[in-house]
Amino acid sequence: MKKKVLLMGKSGSGKTSMRSIIFSNYIARDTRRLGATIDVEHSHVRFLGNLVLNLWDCGGQEAFMENYFAAQRDHIFRNVEVLIYVFDVESREIERDMHYYQDCLEAILANSKDAKIFCLIHKMDLVQEEVRANIFNERYNELKTRSEPLKISAFATSIWDETLYKAWSSIVYSLIPNVRLLETHLQNFATICEADEVVLFERTTFLVISHSTRIEHPDIHRFSKISNYIKQFKLSCSKSQAQFKSMEIRQANFAAFFDILTANTYVMVIMSDPTVESAATQMNITVARKHFEKLETSHMTR
Amino acid sequence: MLKPKVISQVLQQATTGGVKATLLLNSEGSPLVFVSEAGDRDARVYAAIASNVWSTFEKNTKPLTKEDPTIGSGVGSGNGGGINNALKFLLVECEEGNLAITTVTNMLLCLVARTDVALGILKAKTDALARHLEEPFQRVSTYTQSSS
Repeated sequence: MKKKVLLMGKSGSGKTSMRSIIFSNYIARDTRRLGATIDVEHSHVRFLGNLVLNLWDCGGQEAFMENYFAAQRDHIFRNVEVLIYVFDVESREIERDMHYYQDCLEAILANSKDAKIFCLIHKMDLVQEEVRANIFNERYNELKTRSEPLKISAFATSIWDETLYKAWSSIVYSLIPNVRLLETHLQNFATICEADEVVLFERTTFLVISHSTRIEHPDIHRFSKISNYIKQFKLSCSKSQAQFKSMEIRQANFAAFFDILTANTYVMVIMSDPTVESAATQMNITVARKHFEKLETSHMTR
Repeated sequence: MLKPKVISQVLQQATTGGVKATLLLNSEGSPLVFVSEAGDRDARVYAAIASNVWSTFEKNTKPLTKEDPTIGSGVGSGNGGGINNALKFLLVECEEGNLAITTVTNMLLCLVARTDVALGILKAKTDALARHLEEPFQRVSTYTQSSS
């Protein structure tokens, strides 16, 4: 099942950078090497089961933009499942950005009206921390009114922290069929092995797919942080010619396990009961593997 | 899947009448669940020794049974004989206590008792516990073997 994802926004707003970080193992610093995208760059990303994201990274220079809305209109805007529109928070031509954005929505409305729309207010790291929430809300409200009658979701993002993972996780989450089913099975898994929390990650991108929490944790950003850390760790592993497979972190009051679950997923299990042995949890993960493998092949495909 | 706390309750029931510790180990010798009167440290030592003793015996009896199933494996206190000569049970009498080890599917069950516990009752207890765990563990092991 292929899902067409359009990535649009003004030139230099950071579309290719975020794509490279999430899907091509770049670290934030590496994105300085990226040049301007010419026309449209297509990439296919395999996700869960046979869900393939067909990512259209559309170069944002004006000449290209005009071209998309005119000559390539049908080609670009047909069968779109998701539109991700990236705004540069520091942009000085907000009116102009909005103009393009609305043109884009118009084309979407005409060609694929069921598409989900996500707006990313990007480069948030350039704004002072105290005013971030305010600026974001202001922009979000404006976007909401401008997007009528379409419904949108918006995120404040930056490639330098976990917000990027959070936004992309939500986007991906909305694309997965039967995600509820997966959630119930994770819940069962957590109950049986008496875990505090079980989180399912996509294997290559380490984006959060689903989670089940039995004991609440105060930090709501923890998943995106973990995605970020593990991805960095994986990169440093590959630098030393080693492949990251699994990890166990044990402390006096908790233990965390990272392990492969299925061909496309990683699982993280958090145990706070010190009397439960590592081997027991590892065995439970091994046993669950087959079940989730089956679940993924039979229900994640449509 | 295993519910560690439930297994721990079952093992707790066996850790009475002179039995100092009851342990359940995976095939590599890591403790899955254990109940011990002494501290955790002691239990881990028991686990390491028990799995080592077991694997040594097993290694030394296996080639015989594989090449020629008619030759009896005189080593260990195997009570199988005949078709399946694989090591089934070990009873070890030590200075500080008695040790019983047996397999439950692909896991090891190990009981450590004081010296005043007679070997017969220790064996009976171990067997009873193994029988009790056999059926549920059977289901778990079919998964672990085929997927790893």
